[in-house]
Amino acid sequence: MTILSRRPTEDIDLGADFEAPSTFEPIATSARYRAPKANVDPDRAKSWLRRALPVVLAHKGIFITSLVMSFVGLVIQVQMPKILQNAITNVIVEHHGTLTGYVVVMSVLAVFAGFALYISRYFLMRTAYSIEFDLRNIIYTHLSRLSFPFYDRVQSGQLISRANSDIRSVQMYLTFAPSIMVQCSVALVAFGYMLSINVPLALVAMLPMPFVYFLGVEMRKRMFPVSWLIQARLADVATIVDENTNGVRVVKSFAAEQRELTSLGKAADRLQWSYIKDADIRATFTPAVQNLPQLGLALVLLFGGWLALGRHIPVAALISFSLYIVMLQAPFQMLGQIIMMGQRARASAGRIYEILDQPPTVVDRPGAVDLVDCRGDVRFDSVEFKYNDDNPNVVNGFDLHIPPGETVALVGRTGSGKSTTARLLARFYDVTGGRVLIDDKDVRDLTLTSVRGNVGIVLDEPFLFSVSIRDNIAYGAPDADIDEIVAAATAAGADEFIRELDEGYDTVVGERGYTLSGGQRQRIAIARTLLVNPPILVLDDATSAIDVQVELTIHGALRRLMQGRTTLIIAHRLSTISLADRVLLMDNGRIIADGTHSELMDTVPLYGEVLAQGEKEDARRMAEAASHAGESPAPDGFGEFDLDGNRDEEDGIGGTL
Amino acid sequence: MGWGGGGGWGGGGMMGGPPGGGRGSPGNPGSGLPFAGIPSELQDGVDKLLVKEPSHGEPKARFSYQMSDDDKKEMTLRSLIVQHWGLGVWALVFVCLVSLANQAGPLLIDKGTNAIQGALTTGHTSGVYGKIALYAFLFFVAIGISGTAQHSQVRTTGRLAARVMNDLRIKIFSHLQRLSLDFYTEEKQGVIMSRMTADIENLQQLLQDGLAQFAVQGLTMIAITVILFALNVKLALITCLAIVPVLTALSLWFRAASERGYQRVRDGIANVLADLSESLHGVRVVTAHNRQRHNVLHHRNVVGSYRDANFYTAQIAAIYGPGTQMLSFLGQVVLLGVGGTMVLHHQLSLGALTAFILYLNRFLQPITLLVQQYNMYQQGHASITKLNTLLVQNPSVPEDDGAPDLPKIEGNIHYDHVTFGYDPETPVLHDIDVTINPGETVAFVGPTGAGKSTMAKLVTRFYDPTEGHVLIDGHDIRHYSLQSLRRQLGVVPQEPFLFAGTVRDNIAFARENVSDDEVREAIRMVGLMEVVERLPEEIDTVVHERGQSLSSGERQLIALARAFVAHPRVLVLDEATSNLDLLSESKIEAALDLLLEGRTAILIAHRLTTAMKADRIVVVDEGGIIEVGSHEQLVDAGGRYAEMYETWISHAEGATAA
Repeated sequence: MTILSRRPTEDIDLGADFEAPSTFEPIATSARYRAPKANVDPDRAKSWLRRALPVVLAHKGIFITSLVMSFVGLVIQVQMPKILQNAITNVIVEHHGTLTGYVVVMSVLAVFAGFALYISRYFLMRTAYSIEFDLRNIIYTHLSRLSFPFYDRVQSGQLISRANSDIRSVQMYLTFAPSIMVQCSVALVAFGYMLSINVPLALVAMLPMPFVYFLGVEMRKRMFPVSWLIQARLADVATIVDENTNGVRVVKSFAAEQRELTSLGKAADRLQWSYIKDADIRATFTPAVQNLPQLGLALVLLFGGWLALGRHIPVAALISFSLYIVMLQAPFQMLGQIIMMGQRARASAGRIYEILDQPPTVVDRPGAVDLVDCRGDVRFDSVEFKYNDDNPNVVNGFDLHIPPGETVALVGRTGSGKSTTARLLARFYDVTGGRVLIDDKDVRDLTLTSVRGNVGIVLDEPFLFSVSIRDNIAYGAPDADIDEIVAAATAAGADEFIRELDEGYDTVVGERGYTLSGGQRQRIAIARTLLVNPPILVLDDATSAIDVQVELTIHGALRRLMQGRTTLIIAHRLSTISLADRVLLMDNGRIIADGTHSELMDTVPLYGEVLAQGEKEDARRMAEAASHAGESPAPDGFGEFDLDGNRDEEDGIGGTL
Repeated sequence: MGWGGGGGWGGGGMMGGPPGGGRGSPGNPGSGLPFAGIPSELQDGVDKLLVKEPSHGEPKARFSYQMSDDDKKEMTLRSLIVQHWGLGVWALVFVCLVSLANQAGPLLIDKGTNAIQGALTTGHTSGVYGKIALYAFLFFVAIGISGTAQHSQVRTTGRLAARVMNDLRIKIFSHLQRLSLDFYTEEKQGVIMSRMTADIENLQQLLQDGLAQFAVQGLTMIAITVILFALNVKLALITCLAIVPVLTALSLWFRAASERGYQRVRDGIANVLADLSESLHGVRVVTAHNRQRHNVLHHRNVVGSYRDANFYTAQIAAIYGPGTQMLSFLGQVVLLGVGGTMVLHHQLSLGALTAFILYLNRFLQPITLLVQQYNMYQQGHASITKLNTLLVQNPSVPEDDGAPDLPKIEGNIHYDHVTFGYDPETPVLHDIDVTINPGETVAFVGPTGAGKSTMAKLVTRFYDPTEGHVLIDGHDIRHYSLQSLRRQLGVVPQEPFLFAGTVRDNIAFARENVSDDEVREAIRMVGLMEVVERLPEEIDTVVHERGQSLSSGERQLIALARAFVAHPRVLVLDEATSNLDLLSESKIEAALDLLLEGRTAILIAHRLTTAMKADRIVVVDEGGIIEVGSHEQLVDAGGRYAEMYETWISHAEGATAA
């Protein structure tokens, strides 16, 4: 991160893996793939296509080869009907020469055409997927640099969905648009041949083609809203099922099955209507688009037959004209498609650029230095902070000094700003006023990685990744050996239950794995931070879901670990607070009382209230944990994606090249 | 027909359905991807569409715990369509018309070419003009028939698909409603979701277009084969022998390879999205541990594998598409060589050769299309199998055939030597025998996992006892209809679940036809009127998903109001232990007092303060009843309860002494 954030935006991706990472960055993998060679142009003044151009040009070798081969293949195709016509006219009708020569030439051309089309198709798809690879990595790399204020604003669900559909629509347009252009240019050649045979007939044969184009455009214009409406209504149905599943106890308790069925019935009826609407639009356009070229064939028969009878054209021209008409049909249809694709791609690109144009806000200052040999002296100096400009300060005139090795508990009502101070210490956010100092150095003058490497923070919401428990604990220290991992787990009171799992430390957990209880997750999260062995430790409500009895059993280990370490505990549970040397009561973003537990008990009424509230909170979490026993509240995750739909769309276009 | 630009590969996608239609749209919500809303640039179009939408009226589907005989039969594609046989028959008629009318073109061109060729050879051209005009006219008519029939076919199959899908949604959802709680606790939610979404949606394309396409392509192949053989048996045989085996081999290879490829692609994208999702959801942990750069590399590897999978499918597609195209060129070469020689030897007319050349592509196209669409058929089949597996699951809490309604209950509840285990092998309740008298409030207390919630679940028949009976007013509740039992019980769960809907809908949930006055009355009873009046649309305010616009105290109160509206004879309350503010707390206590009045009540108490309210306390531990008695009795007895009380007192004093 050190190096990443020192670099200007546009070349962040350039060999991010070639630079030596800072010593605070755990890296346990090596890249098997090269980083994208180019990035999206950061100049916002440029058009979306111009901005995307560098990414396309990074693959210009295969891309241009593909276009050239596509052109070659199509030109050969255009020759075929003409050769066929000549063969029939010369040999069969007029008895000049033999068929052998024509057969050989056509066979050779057929093989060449097949080969050229294979190369063009394969290279084009390769380009498309390479661009997708680049875009996904560019976006991900950028996302990984963005700061918390950004993540507070956006919904991850939206980001994921956008990352999927928007990248696809941009990538498809960027690669297939030029290729469709090539096809259209070949269509011009074919049209030229037709003109060379007979001008009026060529014009008559082409008569329906513009309609094919316009109808295609019109159809897509009408189709898109319907297909999105269908998507929206599918989502409605899914929401009802989702709620019904989550609220199944309520539904059953109140015997509300009929009510639920009715509400699903309504959503299904609305969905049915939109599907019928979709069918009606297709029913109007598809037959027209498909039959118009046939109309051209009929016109050729009528008019061409008349011309042939008058010996203005050879009879075989009827055949080649028929074949050309069929050949021209696809480019005209696609021309309409490309316009719609362009509109969609522009909108999609806009949404992608919106992410890429977000600057990271919490970054290393120029000349930032690493925090080394941290003693663990922490000082908040008149700190002020608000999450955004419209809101009042969450932390307001916060002063606190924690000398090295001291353990301090921060207590306060919900919303009093406790967790925020912890986040400021780890520099998840930058203060809006005052300073946060570690070893008397402003954290903003230190590198981000070194601050975060020295401040170990256990968050209230213990997020685990879908990897083994071992890897989850070793998240911050991938080099740790199993003994160290077990030691950390034991200190956090997690070893026992981990060993009881079927696969022990190799059990995969998280969204896509085994579901652990809140308390178990918290213990793993504590082990994860303990393993890093940071000189400054922050426990942000980190034991709230752990059973009081279990918590007491790990206090011994925790106390040992806190020895010689600066520790900030955010808690509301009496037993947790007892770990601290000193208790601070926070309210409205500042410290209002400072002392030992019994001192505060005696002098500050608010303190007692906050603790009483905490006791209830505990009971709730305990009960929650109990009621979830044997249940798996975690969603199934991504195991059941059905993405063929997208593939069909792609293949439809790819296939016509 | 797809010679030039088309090839078989593109035909399906380009013509079968527009991109974005059906399953083609991005972000298919049913599959787990969040639906990101309609993009702003399309909102106008959608709005215009919505203006035209009629009111659909009340859905007709009625719920019953009993499965009808129809429901019990195994579901197949055929059985689904047969329900709408009228539409099915029409669809078939239109499909036949389309397939036949489509073949007229080359045949007429063949006739025309022959006539012209003949006229030119003989020199008698005058009469032929009329003939040509007639052929052209017939061609126009065929196009008209084909277009009209196709129009009707798309409309018909579209309706057929929409109705079958609607049936299917109702059928599957009804069955999900029938299934008991154990199904919901054992099955992952994602799986339940995908039965109702992805698995059903998989059939959409097949029904709306796929089956008709199969029929059209199949009929086309038959028709063309017949025509070709009618034109010239020898050339037809040679053409078939030269092309069909190679094409079949290529197609079989393609099908197998693309199936493998798409599986890889599906796994690949699932991994990409899962990795992205975890990185975003776990961003705080990622940042706290400086793992960004590691993750960038890891994500690159994941995206790279996905790219490789795509390269693989690209390779396959790039071989198959141009491969069939090359084959069709070579087919023309064969026709030219063999057919041309035959024409030279007067074994074949020039028109017939023309027809052969024109029919060749029409003959190849169905094969390639069928191959590509086979995937769709297979997926549809797999979906139906999965749905059938769901439909044969029987509720573990069944309703007897023709079970009578439970008469109006007084409220005497008797656990008659009840033993129960979620897994029958390992009982969590052992031989529970206790009676609760009408109008009595009984609290179940005990440590977490002791079985107190489970006891309550047996009264509501969320589960049935493994041994023994639960009797209400002496009736074994197993022999009465579930609805009649549950309607007389009021359940307030621990975590109040609010549905996305209005406040009114959430409160009136308990019964049908609840008047607004009753809803308001219930709101008043729980002391929530002030809060509701402050909401923008009063009781019509939509509460957001999971009730985020209300505080947890307010949500508790809504859940209580819901129970009020139900007028239950027996109340089962799993104590809400959320972190409530003091005001909500006192409101809830007051509402509870009202609600308990004159009712039999079971309180699952997590706090001893609540337990103390009860007439009697049942102390449960390790699946058995340890003590029963009033608070005073139990404290005096000096048993387990007294011990718990002691601990609690000292703890509470520690916390709240000041």
